[in-house]
Amino acid sequence: MEKTMRKGDRGRRIIGSLALCSILLGLYFGLIAAPPDAYQGEAQRIMYLHIPSILTAYLSFFIVFIGSCLFLWKREKRDDILAYSAAEIGVLFTGLTIIEGSIWGKPTWGVWWTWDARLTLTAILFLIFVGYLMLRSLIEDESRGAVCGAVLGIIGFLDIPLIHMSVYWWRTLHQSPSILRPDKLPWENVHPSMLIALSVNFVAFILFYFYLLSLRFRLGEMREEAKALKLYGGS
Amino acid sequence: MGSWEYVFLAYGIVWFALLLYFFLLKRRVRKVEVELSSLRSSGDYQKNA
Repeated sequence: MEKTMRKGDRGRRIIGSLALCSILLGLYFGLIAAPPDAYQGEAQRIMYLHIPSILTAYLSFFIVFIGSCLFLWKREKRDDILAYSAAEIGVLFTGLTIIEGSIWGKPTWGVWWTWDARLTLTAILFLIFVGYLMLRSLIEDESRGAVCGAVLGIIGFLDIPLIHMSVYWWRTLHQSPSILRPDKLPWENVHPSMLIALSVNFVAFILFYFYLLSLRFRLGEMREEAKALKLYGGS
Repeated sequence: MGSWEYVFLAYGIVWFALLLYFFLLKRRVRKVEVELSSLRSSGDYQKNA
């Protein structure tokens, strides 16, 4: 057990160091190396945060979905801890995505917010998972809270395909994807210097996300251990 | 507000929020670690007694 924990700590430290290096590189590429956009000017640099943060949030809610399904199937506490941890961090990244989008929208669209389909569905995603966190903290019976949370986590994840497809299904102010397009490869649509900045920032966000997730997961595990020790008096 | 001001506002908010969450999470972990070690030591004490 001790050996596993030490191994986990070492792994976390390596991911943390890699995340720090890639964050610094991402800041260099996003703020200095990448050229300004021909139409959006310098404000386009916000996209080097906006796209990686929403993709990280999608990944996080996918982990909530997987953890919730596994928990409902096998009833193992570890899966619930994973889903709960991923939901907390996913809410943070979704909230930041909405803020970044709003700051980018003001100089580009002329408004901080508009009730566009993609923006509204992203706000709904944020509210669903804020609700998830509230539900988990309000239900006193933990096993019931875990089951309710798992059901809400699965339902909440179903909003993500809607967000992705919203720009195709409805007439929206939000532009269609530049990277995840079915008809074009990313480098056919985005200048290589911008694609490098975006990729470096994406790697930085993913590494930092996994660092935070492993730390939050460890917190959940330790809380469970503390509860068990309190219940059985360390025997 | 110029374009660069929006850029710095976005970068500032994002990295401030992420670092704040990171430090608060570290603090939560440390708090539970302390609680856990005191629970373990009191459990050992009970066993030895």
